[in-house]
Amino acid sequence: MKEKNGFKAFAYAISIFFSVLIIFPLLYILSNSMKDSAKVYDLPPKLIPDSAQSLSVQVNYDAYKDLSDEELLTMMQQDQIITLISTVNEMQRDSIFEIKFYGTMDGKVVYYSRDHRTEIDMERDNGAFKGVAVSTKTLLHGDRWQKAIKRFGYEFDRNGLDKGACTEFQHEIRNQNVEEVLTAYTLHGTVQGTKFKTNNWLLLESFVHYFKLPSYIYSRNETIAKYNFLPFFFNTALVLLCAVVCQVTICALCAYPISRLLPRRAGNLMLLFFLGTTMIPFVAIMIPQLTMFKKLGFYDNYFALLLPHVLPAGFYVYMYKGFFDNLPGELLEAATIDGAGNFYVFSKICMPLSKPIISIIGLQTFLANWNDFFWAWMVTERQDLWTLNVALYNISKISSVKPNFIMGLSVLTIVPVLLITVFFSNQIKESIAAAGIKG
Amino acid sequence: MNHIRGKQTNTLQSMHLTVKRRKYLAAILFMLPGIIATIWLRYYPIGKAFYMSMFDYDPVTPPGVFVGFKNFLNLFKTEFYWEAWWNTFIFLGITLVLVFWVPLVQAIFLNEIMRGKKLFTTIYLITALIPMSVNVIIWKWIWDPQYGLANQIFQFFGGSAQLWLSNPDLTKFCIVFPGIVGGGVNVLLYLAAIQGIPPQIYEAAALDGCVGWQKIRYIVLPNLRFIIVIQLILTCISGMQVLDIPFQFASGGPSGASTSMGIYIYNSVYTDLSYGKSAAASVILFLVIALLTVLEMRLDRSEAA
Repeated sequence: MKEKNGFKAFAYAISIFFSVLIIFPLLYILSNSMKDSAKVYDLPPKLIPDSAQSLSVQVNYDAYKDLSDEELLTMMQQDQIITLISTVNEMQRDSIFEIKFYGTMDGKVVYYSRDHRTEIDMERDNGAFKGVAVSTKTLLHGDRWQKAIKRFGYEFDRNGLDKGACTEFQHEIRNQNVEEVLTAYTLHGTVQGTKFKTNNWLLLESFVHYFKLPSYIYSRNETIAKYNFLPFFFNTALVLLCAVVCQVTICALCAYPISRLLPRRAGNLMLLFFLGTTMIPFVAIMIPQLTMFKKLGFYDNYFALLLPHVLPAGFYVYMYKGFFDNLPGELLEAATIDGAGNFYVFSKICMPLSKPIISIIGLQTFLANWNDFFWAWMVTERQDLWTLNVALYNISKISSVKPNFIMGLSVLTIVPVLLITVFFSNQIKESIAAAGIKG
Repeated sequence: MNHIRGKQTNTLQSMHLTVKRRKYLAAILFMLPGIIATIWLRYYPIGKAFYMSMFDYDPVTPPGVFVGFKNFLNLFKTEFYWEAWWNTFIFLGITLVLVFWVPLVQAIFLNEIMRGKKLFTTIYLITALIPMSVNVIIWKWIWDPQYGLANQIFQFFGGSAQLWLSNPDLTKFCIVFPGIVGGGVNVLLYLAAIQGIPPQIYEAAALDGCVGWQKIRYIVLPNLRFIIVIQLILTCISGMQVLDIPFQFASGGPSGASTSMGIYIYNSVYTDLSYGKSAAASVILFLVIALLTVLEMRLDRSEAA
């Protein structure tokens, strides 16, 4: 009895060990994606990210009272850009995740902006300031800063905004003094004061902005610029849907005659014909298929992405045939004698009886195509055709994308997947078990 | 009387014939989309690969110069070709040693667990649903020579920092190693097979005092023999075709150390611009895999019979 308990404990230990092994990498990227682009490189890597700081900067413009609205606005916008980029660039160790910029005049707040750290990083690394060495001159060169300000956003009203002007400032010195940094970068206005506040929700807010990363990198592609990361989800869903629908219908259409209409010998021959495709690996035919597709114009469009999925997988035809063989024959024959056409019998009697096998094949197709990469990668150049796998691979190849960003996108990708796993784990389990027994 | 009967059988026969004919016609119409797709997407391309391998293939003005089996002969003389096979077999070898048995172990012990079985099964399922590109992103960061976890752990135990994926001697190991977390569809397959063992066998064995380790050794494993062999062959078949994972991890490098047969076929076209060579390599790979598949089907059938 004691030995048996020991064995049970061992079984639990093994299961827990492997579960930790599976879950740990996920926690690892979750924690990395919540770090900022400086601390993600820290050694040794910390599992718990540092708490996020919100920085408020108040700049006074009393000296420019006589200027017109437009001139004043330009000045404040330029100051905002310099403040955002310079603080993030110089104060890397301070976990600044949010910068609020207040422009005041006559004791009223006339200009306000609030930006998240990830937005600033994206603008600097992949947006308007990509490849620019940070200095006041380079930041304000040409129309770069105007492009950036469009995305950063701002509020301006000379008569005062509905924002309480900050009065209490801590002249707190972190690793570096904000005011010194700003002075070094020479703002138009005079810095009145700065304030730090801890707000850990900002760590989670990062993910909202990670989602927008593709529109910075591929800003020339209209679809991506508009919908950010969504097209990749959409394409993946479309490919999977197409694959599932095609396999479920075409394989059934192929299997039904083999099981019910053809004489045995001819049926077996056809089954062999379909099963024979399992012998031909994708790797061996990808080049001829690609040249063929290119010739037909199926390249860099949805045809190229979706058409390969109309191929009925031999194994599914085989599974369908096994299932149809076991359907009660009397039912189908009775309908035939009543004068029902073959297609009627198939679609109105046979298929409704086949729901179990349909769900199995649908799920198997989903799992088999979920990781499809190479074909989709080969035939697509336009970014808005990419599936999740292709997009993540290509984005991870770009050197200006910091690891916390690409891991943030990964987290965004797997969260829906994890939810699916948890919700449908029973169905998935049953379907695989059933398919395994049949195979 | 006779006359009438004869006429009747005649009409019956002809009716029977038309029913049969209609049946066959329907059969052909049913299968037509599938047949067209199968020929178009598998049989024609593999035939094309055979055809291309006979030419010094020129994609602009096909087919180019006929060279017979020269592409094959050239291939056999190319060192990189044999290196690609070697790499593929090493990948397969590491997979079999390091990864193949993990789902089996997980399933066997999962079967012994009473409480929390559902939770563990769900966790094991996660592996099947994490997109490969995400997995590659995670592990590339873990293997990062400067900032990765691998070197941190390795150095903690007194090792010296390694280049991991950038080291030609280690890159294959680094690419296969992530599979050690196991899980996925195979766990459920094994679990279903274990649960398919008739309970009477366990009961009888338990009476003889065969529990715990002995049960696994003398009852579970022998009963799983068939599915293990099938999985082994399937692993070999997919191992021969390995393409996506080494490509995403290292694009075939460093210095060709992760160039599997699949990547070799791709590179022959995209870097060497040699369609003929690529097609010849495809044909040989096809023959090898076809052989393995026939073997698997034979085994499958022998067990079923």
